[in-house]
Amino acid sequence: MYPQQVHKYLQQFFTENDCCILGDDEHYITVQLTIDMDKRIMNRPFYWQYVEATNGEPSPAQVTFITDQNRIEEKIMGEVIHFGSPRLNQLFQVTKELGAFVQMFEKVDRLETKSFLTPWLGVNYKVSYCSDQTKEMLYSFGINLMTGEVIEEFQESLNDMDLVSVISEDAFQVQYIIKPNRALQRLDTIVDDIIQQDDHIWAEEANKRWHRSQRVLEYFYEGVEHKPECYEIEKKALEEQYDPKIKVEIINGGLFYLT
Amino acid sequence: MIIERSSEWEEGFINRLENPEKWDSWTLYKMSYEIVKTNLITEFSGLQSAKYLPNLTPLTHQLEAAKTVIERMNGKAILADEVGLGKTIEAGLVLKEYLIRGLVKKALILAPASLVNQWVEELNQKFHIPAIPYKKNYPIDRYDIIVMSMDTAKKSPHRELIYAQNFDIFIIDEAHKLKNHKTQIYEFVQSLKKKFCLLLTATPIQNDVFELFYLISLLKPGHLGNYETFQSAFSASKHDLEHDDYLRALVNQVMVRNRREDTGIEWTNRRVQTIPIQFTKEEREVYDLLVELKNVSSVFSGSFALITLQKEMCSSKEATCLTLTKMREDCVAPDEVEYVDRIIEKLMALEINSKAEKVLEIIAQANDKVIIFTEYRATQIYLQWYLHVKGITSVLFNGKFNKNKRDYMKRLFKEQAQVLIATEAGGEGINLQFCHHVINYDLPWNPMKLEQRIGRVHRLGQEHDVHIYNLAIENTIENNILELLNTKIGVFEKVVGDLDDILTNYKKTI
Repeated sequence: MYPQQVHKYLQQFFTENDCCILGDDEHYITVQLTIDMDKRIMNRPFYWQYVEATNGEPSPAQVTFITDQNRIEEKIMGEVIHFGSPRLNQLFQVTKELGAFVQMFEKVDRLETKSFLTPWLGVNYKVSYCSDQTKEMLYSFGINLMTGEVIEEFQESLNDMDLVSVISEDAFQVQYIIKPNRALQRLDTIVDDIIQQDDHIWAEEANKRWHRSQRVLEYFYEGVEHKPECYEIEKKALEEQYDPKIKVEIINGGLFYLT
Repeated sequence: MIIERSSEWEEGFINRLENPEKWDSWTLYKMSYEIVKTNLITEFSGLQSAKYLPNLTPLTHQLEAAKTVIERMNGKAILADEVGLGKTIEAGLVLKEYLIRGLVKKALILAPASLVNQWVEELNQKFHIPAIPYKKNYPIDRYDIIVMSMDTAKKSPHRELIYAQNFDIFIIDEAHKLKNHKTQIYEFVQSLKKKFCLLLTATPIQNDVFELFYLISLLKPGHLGNYETFQSAFSASKHDLEHDDYLRALVNQVMVRNRREDTGIEWTNRRVQTIPIQFTKEEREVYDLLVELKNVSSVFSGSFALITLQKEMCSSKEATCLTLTKMREDCVAPDEVEYVDRIIEKLMALEINSKAEKVLEIIAQANDKVIIFTEYRATQIYLQWYLHVKGITSVLFNGKFNKNKRDYMKRLFKEQAQVLIATEAGGEGINLQFCHHVINYDLPWNPMKLEQRIGRVHRLGQEHDVHIYNLAIENTIENNILELLNTKIGVFEKVVGDLDDILTNYKKTI
């Protein structure tokens, strides 16, 4: 993410979370946090404990984030934020927490006759292959909770639709037949299958690198009867460095009622 | 293969279905997806970091080095570029890449105390890596990226605090300080769990090939075999390497070394001259008397003491006198004391310093800014006085200066003084591209020290040819030093690779 992208992200993030933007100048942004946001990101539990225990007047913080320090001419007091900074990662995390579960309805035209909306479960998966190197894949699946039909790139297909959080008056939502938790299991299996069928030469190579390094290490201590502690440490380091792992993480998901 | 998955989302979702509450915002949902999508690492190979660094345009050789370290060396490497090619940038690129890829969360950078702040600045400004300088009583577990001085790190309680953390990467600057495996710092680094590790040094060999053996054994124990096998294969004599090519190939598997001429950047030339100097008759007399000392008193029979005196005599009477007076206190017999006193008397009567006169000549000829490196504080002060008398302005510099004082001295030199006189410790971490004459007033035993000195001036950003003057007094110990320097350079070149010119004509002699 470039500084401009980070800036845009902050605007959107705080607006969406009802934090009033007090100042916004292309390269920095000042926001009034809500009580909830203060608790989430300001890391001051004792203050909030105190306010709540004493029934005091809560005073959530005002924060200035500088998104592009190099392009600020005046002297601004604020926190520099950039891609890779702990603060931005924290905001990403909060975004993830606050955008994890949705229920959305497709908006239908009032002029048409009453529409029936079909329930779908949509889930976004991130799959990571990790050794001393990494590769990540993103899968977005939707499963029709009436028929069991599965479609790929579900999230992209939603982007073109007009979705609202409250069902339109002229629409009618069909109760699902396949239970969402069963549907989720089905999608999990599909992800597993994709992983199973993928080429895992990367893991073989990582194992090869691991064993080669392990052999080199053994060579160093060849003939040493009582191996010193640093031998074990080094061995552990090699495991952490190379041991291939696959991680599956659900980014978010929800129920979607679509025409 | 085991697939790790968390049931966290599933539980949360089912909970929502059973206990209806407000659903999340669609905008945040889409933002969350977009973040993951934008930041997705779609390839095992290639550098992601470069595109996230708007304040930095890395040079081709720096990007290549970072790529090699990650893809071919699996994140354990010696970065051994010649001085001034940007090893810090390469290390920063590697660190950034691992941070982006999520392979590193916690990092520890060990550097000489004088360079700690420079590291913090560069990581923050150029790489957007939130590094902090370590201070005593800092809660070490609360910070992810820490820069610490080597001297602090190796001592209690910091040492134990570091062991208790789970650092994913260690970056060790000026790693030639780890050449001796018997030191505390070596042991300390050996016992660290090094998942990823970068050792930065322009001079992986300073004196002999075992230094490289220990450095590599720290990084990848066994890569060069164990000590016995290494010794039997590579050191019939310390300087005679039989399996050059084989050893070089092994070394190249763990070491990246860019040379100036490989960088594709137009480098200015180094013009190296060895300037022979003749002692005056009086200086020669004192020098010979000093050499005789070993036959006069047991105080001087140790070769080290005598060599020091000889070297100092080649530098200045001030340096010599200081040591000699100290040693005189150890003399017991009256005739010994008398002999020493006679030397001191003759020494102090000397009116001409031939070397200093030569320096004056060089400065006059250069008619430009000049850096003089000496090994001795006494000589440093003498030279300043001598130049002052001759109407030449100079500033002193030594490595013990803190950052503010360094910057101040550098500015004085740049803006006001013609000459900077530095002692050995002044060699590291200061950049003086605006100057292009270097006088090595005394020669160190170690060629890499010369390289470090020259590197202050001959680095990225230098626009002129750089003139280097190595001063050596004829028929003194400085001849031997020159010879030894040649041999050591030979060892380095056989194992590590060619060196840029440090001495004159050494290639012919090897």
